[in-house]
Amino acid sequence: MRHWRMLLLHFEHTFEYRSRNFVWFLVELVNPLLILLYWYWAIGDRSGTSLPISASVITAYYFWMIFAGAILSVHIEEDVAVLDIQEGGLSRYLLRPFPYFLLKFYEELPWRLIQGIFGLIIIAGFAVIFRIFDGITPLTWGRILLIIETCIAGYTISFLFKMIVGLSAFWVTDYQGLHQFTEVVMLAFAGFLVPLDIMPEGFRTLANILPFPYMIYYPVMAMIGRIDSQALPPVIIGQMVWLIILGVVSLRIWKAGTRLYAGVGQ
Amino acid sequence: MEYPMIITVSHLRKYYRIHKKEPGFTGSLRSLFHRKYENVRAVNDISFTIGEKELVGFIGPNGAGKTTTLKCLSGLLYPTDGTVSVLGFTPSDRRNGYLKQIALVMGQKNQLWWDLPAVETFLLNKEIYEIPDDRYRKTLSELVELLDVEKLLNVQVRKLSLGERMKMELIAALIHAPRVLFLDEPTIGLDVVMQKKMRDFIRDYNSIHGSTILLTSHYMEDVKQLADRVIIIDHGEILYDGKLDNLVRKFARHKMLSVILETYVPPEKLAGIGELEYYEFPKALISVKRGASNVAAAQLLQKFPVADLNIEEPDIEDIIRDVFTKRKN
Repeated sequence: MRHWRMLLLHFEHTFEYRSRNFVWFLVELVNPLLILLYWYWAIGDRSGTSLPISASVITAYYFWMIFAGAILSVHIEEDVAVLDIQEGGLSRYLLRPFPYFLLKFYEELPWRLIQGIFGLIIIAGFAVIFRIFDGITPLTWGRILLIIETCIAGYTISFLFKMIVGLSAFWVTDYQGLHQFTEVVMLAFAGFLVPLDIMPEGFRTLANILPFPYMIYYPVMAMIGRIDSQALPPVIIGQMVWLIILGVVSLRIWKAGTRLYAGVGQ
Repeated sequence: MEYPMIITVSHLRKYYRIHKKEPGFTGSLRSLFHRKYENVRAVNDISFTIGEKELVGFIGPNGAGKTTTLKCLSGLLYPTDGTVSVLGFTPSDRRNGYLKQIALVMGQKNQLWWDLPAVETFLLNKEIYEIPDDRYRKTLSELVELLDVEKLLNVQVRKLSLGERMKMELIAALIHAPRVLFLDEPTIGLDVVMQKKMRDFIRDYNSIHGSTILLTSHYMEDVKQLADRVIIIDHGEILYDGKLDNLVRKFARHKMLSVILETYVPPEKLAGIGELEYYEFPKALISVKRGASNVAAAQLLQKFPVADLNIEEPDIEDIIRDVFTKRKN
């Protein structure tokens, strides 16, 4: 109950920023919509030729990507790097008898859930117009469990990865270099631009040894029912492996970084 | 009355490594390939102990090492060398058992949620510190009454004045009733009325709860009003640790003769008694050597038409300034 009450208090805080929530959601909305328009143009231009993926699946993919981008793509790194480490806000966390990571988790979760709800509204609104459920296998309890599992693991991987990016500010003057680099890499390897299914074999192999597809791409594939029983074990194992790796690395970085912390600005 | 020691600092050192860039474009180019670093000694080999329920003032100019010491004591910083023990804990371990017994309040920096009423932060702290409902209500109502902020509890923090925010900040820091309180510049930026209220609160809180308080301040008035004992620090080293009264005896080599004259006396004649610090007829201030103050007073009374004479200690602020200036020179 204690943790639930703390989460609710953070929801109260997030509710104060309604317009910011909506504008940030629009950012998540615009990119997949633009890419979808591009695909429609490509499909129209190549009528009669075979495409690597059907129009209905590609439509569903990008609409669910809007939802996944809003709910699963964590944006905690700037708070950690700038407000906490560089400007000294970390002091108030260090002085409280509560884990920093967990408080940050509670701070971020309401933002993601609220923006995820915006995503669901968009999906509901456009479902009929764009027939985004066509070509998607019907929901079963097994698939619902799979969606929940991949989303929870994907969110946590994204959270830990972004924490590491933010914590780099213990060592670097400006964390933006690393931040922007990871954003570019994520665009390609998390499946934001193109579904990894239709990418060349070598690219897919490389993607699967990185954490990025496990954050966003596989949860989206679970949502549109494109993970079959054969593909399921490697996805779950991949997520678990990355959870362990990122968990251990982030805690080690945290431990080493707090030894360097100077409380600047405080 | 002697209380058990709950803070022990032994040979504490805290050095920072800072990047030094040579000026100009070539300096920037050089630092692209080879960076020069320098160790800054923020705190350099200091030792002291503080007993339970003591209220100690930490004085020093900017960059003296006051705040760094408080940060080491609260566990924010890892010492470079030396040992620190507070309530039997090593602060830098940041054990929950330790953090639940201390609080650090740093001037105008806040832990309050800016866009929510302060009471929401108090509720968050209630959960973080695992304070039972009845104890939370009791402590909150007591603090609210002491600081007279009942009407402000449900006002958005950003709408509060600086003084009001500082009061809320104190409540947030004290809601778990810490045994040790570190106050870093608690009155900075406040007007004189609010400064006095804050001092009254700190004094009352110390006497009611028996908390150990270590405070730093730029305002001598804070220290004079609140602390019996002061620790003077400069360039990371302790210059004095003891009673405020003894500070005067130790560092003030002079006393002040405050004279009201009946008739005008030329200043050069008064200067024969001692160093004439101030003269605007009928009032004069003459600084004389400490041991010779009685003789000088007698001479004044004999030689000049004196209406009133007082032998005064110099102002503490002047003494401390003098200590720092001499050290600098």
